[in-house]
Amino acid sequence: MRDSIIVARESIPSIALVTEVFWPQGNFVAKSNGMPDIPRIQIPHPVAGSGEANMAAVASDITPEIISILTGT
Amino acid sequence: MTLTEDPTRLLSATSENDALEQLHAMGCTDGLPVVIPTADRVFRMALASGLDPNLHLGVMGPAYGVATVEKVATAAVMAGCIPDHFPVVVAAIRAICKPEFDLTEVQATTHCTTPFTIVCGPAREACGGVASGFGALGPGHRANASIGRAIRMAMINIGGGRPGESDMSLHGHPGKFTYCMAEDSLNSPFPDLHTSFGYSADQSAVVVTGAEAPHSVLFAGDADDPESINRFLDLLAMIMANPGSNNVHLIGGSVVVIMNPDHGRVIQHAGLTREDMQAELASRASISMGTLRRIGAPFAARHTDKDDEDLIHVLRDPSRIVLFQGGGNGLYSMVMPSWCAGPHGNTVVHAEVELDQTCEVPGMTELKL
Repeated sequence: MRDSIIVARESIPSIALVTEVFWPQGNFVAKSNGMPDIPRIQIPHPVAGSGEANMAAVASDITPEIISILTGT
Repeated sequence: MTLTEDPTRLLSATSENDALEQLHAMGCTDGLPVVIPTADRVFRMALASGLDPNLHLGVMGPAYGVATVEKVATAAVMAGCIPDHFPVVVAAIRAICKPEFDLTEVQATTHCTTPFTIVCGPAREACGGVASGFGALGPGHRANASIGRAIRMAMINIGGGRPGESDMSLHGHPGKFTYCMAEDSLNSPFPDLHTSFGYSADQSAVVVTGAEAPHSVLFAGDADDPESINRFLDLLAMIMANPGSNNVHLIGGSVVVIMNPDHGRVIQHAGLTREDMQAELASRASISMGTLRRIGAPFAARHTDKDDEDLIHVLRDPSRIVLFQGGGNGLYSMVMPSWCAGPHGNTVVHAEVELDQTCEVPGMTELKL
């Protein structure tokens, strides 16, 4: 989340991908860093170490939402 | 001197029990009962410090709360400190608020790291008698327990570290309640630890690093065995290169080594200085590339230029081995591996304990509890 906020502060469009387990922490960090509404997408947990097929499936699932947020559509 | 001028900053309760329940419900405690930080108690704690209650000691992440003397005094009262302890608490907060400590990341990580505070110099006696001997890391030592707990209270209530929400340590460890002891400088084979960081022996200081729980190291020395020192060094190095620790997988960080007095004599007999020991341990604490590839594939993948027979040294900087004497006499020393991560890679920080700032509150040598 902090990475996403740092990127956003550079005026670069940014979306944080946050697993469901870390969602509350993401909300805390977004708020404490002064960007409570920074775009973020919840993804299943775990992703790391879950295998290429699962990671590809997760990426496929969230790609439309990423595009939608970035394009404002 | 005024404190809590803004009445909206005060909570109200009909009794101390109600106040305690309120603090528990708000997530302001460590789960154990606390001393209720009434305005009077906080005032007296801050007053005894001789410091401006509005003085900023630092900023504590991940909530980015400003650690004023008043707020830290509140944490100290809650933890059960007496004013004698407070200069150490202030110094420790100053130390962990240094940017190179990466407090925000220390609080937020999934690793179990927590600040471990070592009290050096005259403050060991002047600040309530911080224990360095038998059971110094365990129960029964008020100063050790209260000072370490005050640091945690500040991390919770100023820094906003709450488990599962902003403190994501998967398991935590008991040292996250309190983790503080003094150096046994009277019996140590080395100069005082804080002199390694530029302080004079008659100054007082805290040395702080993020650390795991202590790992016990059993070693039986033999004065007739010239290899005794090498056996001891090898053993400590093996624990430092414990295959499960972050030091092995991430490389670097710090490691705390606490020698008991009997082990200190083995070192003294061998004529090694602290710097000698640090260099020896850093050169011996290693793991083979083949083992690392077998157990830690994702992290081992970056060592592309190594053969399986090559040794990977787990510390980059020998001075990051925080080596001092403590504990009772016997067979056991302690090693605390570390997290090794964060922007500054788990540094060792320090701050002076300013004893000349304190004053005695008239008619009160301890808090009225």
